[in-house]
Amino acid sequence: MLYDALRFFPGGDRAIEVELGDEMDFTINFIVHKLVAAVRDAKFEAVVDLIPELASFQITYDPDIMSYEDLCREVEGIYAGLGRGATGSLPSRLITIPVLYFDDETAACIADYRKTYPEKTPDPELVCELNHLPDRAALQRAHAGTEYWVAALGFWPGLCSLLALHPGARIIAPKYNPPRTHTPKGAVGIGGALTCIYPDATPGGYQLIGHTPAPTYDGAQRLPDFKDSLALFRAGDRVRFAPVGLEEYEDIKARVAEGSYRHDIIDYQVFSVDRYLDWAKAQGAEG
Amino acid sequence: MSRSFTTVKPGLQTCVQELPGRIGFLEQGFPFSGPFDAWSFRQANLLVGNDRDAAALECQFVGPSLKLDTDCLIAISGADMRPKLDGEAVPMWTTVAVRAGQELVLGAAMTGARAYIAISGGVATEPVLGSRAVFHQAGVGGHALVAGQVVPLGDNGNAGGVFTIPEDKRPVFSKDKCWTIEALKGPNDDWLSEETVKTFFSAEWKVQAKSSRTGIRLTGPEFGFSKRALNKNADHGHDPSNIIDHGYPLGAVNLAGQTPIILVHDSPSTGGFINPFTVASAALWKLGQVKPNEVLKFRSIDRAEAGALRAEIDRSTQVGVLDRV
Repeated sequence: MLYDALRFFPGGDRAIEVELGDEMDFTINFIVHKLVAAVRDAKFEAVVDLIPELASFQITYDPDIMSYEDLCREVEGIYAGLGRGATGSLPSRLITIPVLYFDDETAACIADYRKTYPEKTPDPELVCELNHLPDRAALQRAHAGTEYWVAALGFWPGLCSLLALHPGARIIAPKYNPPRTHTPKGAVGIGGALTCIYPDATPGGYQLIGHTPAPTYDGAQRLPDFKDSLALFRAGDRVRFAPVGLEEYEDIKARVAEGSYRHDIIDYQVFSVDRYLDWAKAQGAEG
Repeated sequence: MSRSFTTVKPGLQTCVQELPGRIGFLEQGFPFSGPFDAWSFRQANLLVGNDRDAAALECQFVGPSLKLDTDCLIAISGADMRPKLDGEAVPMWTTVAVRAGQELVLGAAMTGARAYIAISGGVATEPVLGSRAVFHQAGVGGHALVAGQVVPLGDNGNAGGVFTIPEDKRPVFSKDKCWTIEALKGPNDDWLSEETVKTFFSAEWKVQAKSSRTGIRLTGPEFGFSKRALNKNADHGHDPSNIIDHGYPLGAVNLAGQTPIILVHDSPSTGGFINPFTVASAALWKLGQVKPNEVLKFRSIDRAEAGALRAEIDRSTQVGVLDRV
């Protein structure tokens, strides 16, 4: 649900959390990005940094330049001036990520966790069970059968939160409890209603269903697609997962290792929010 | 001639840090990084004639041995690691003139956890995303020093006299292993029971060994939750401490299940757990000097008091505080 008004919460003396709603929903997230862009454009001297998230955003600010109360009032004013709802269009890159579903590396990671927690259902089976999918093949079809919206980035450099754009493709899964201490770099996981791709070997909590050999983070900026940025994704990009077999997976791995791999990035598309929402509504009605 | 120092022994984790840190990349998941104890860091820089925010070294628990390849001024502040120059003890919180070829050796921290070494001209590593601050775990801006590493220094610009920081302007470290940490309620204090909010500010919280620049883990009483945490939209997650992924403020007391973790300079930028309290920015330096098994007590303050504490530290980290020796 999108709240009637913004809700402000102080995060110490230098941060403000601004909540817009309490759902993982495309429309709310789109409005978050629209508002964050408008706050950024206002170029307040006091605003140090901004983090757009699923249904909220965080402002880090300098309280010696502007007070908490004044900055909240300014943001409210900007929100009032934006008009309600999600509408308009924006440039949006479409990035295709090759995935070997149910690969050996994530399978080994799951098996390792189950040595300590044997009662844990293996991740692919748990996700199938909770989403009424008959088998792994059906899970792969459902997961690769939609475009995803890069709703936010965070927790670790380049880690993305992806929301399925097809209303019928929403797959949900609980997070690990307790979390894993290790996740392979490139693992693809589902947590809540989100998909993520682990940019690096890190702790984690999402249920693992596959692995991509294509890096989403390159700290050394070795690959050509990282020449302008250490992280592949930007909020507002779209992602599609392309299932690959072992042979292609190994081939991509080799090309990444030699530094010649190019990501499949389509950079000439414009995403119409109005047309998307009409389409999603029609899909929902059919489903 | 290019100026540099050579790492003889790296110490436990010696990293280049700089202020204000890596600004503008939180939304891609890059934390601010920067010195954990900015108070000590800035005073070390002032002592060698640098801008107070210039790049300098942060040494964790056990300091490094460095050979200075050039004549320069150095200053050491923060944790007492018994610094020696060519075997002779040198004073902390004071400018020290060093000749090319001399070796600076720091040992294990006697008081506090992190020492700072500022060198005239500042450390001149290559900035990454606008900052020289090192986020060691992800290798952003480099890693901790390794043996044999040669680190470039900037021009010896303002270097001049020998100064000291008067004792009453230095940060005061705990002498009884117990620290009072000023903190503010929010952003998610309304997810906890009223009882638990009170308990948080009266209990003693022990610092776990698994504490670092990515988070200070605490052990203490159990948390109770409010209706907002127990009766919520399923999108927030299963545990009472889960919330739809949101931004994590620097200094937030993050609650993962029943484990509070204070989020500090290299902590995650976002995540799916609540942050009921946030440490005042003027108290963050203390967390950089806290050791495992020491005890934290939180004192509830408001934004006005947080502002007064900020101003006090700011006054203590200006050129004007230096005494000429």
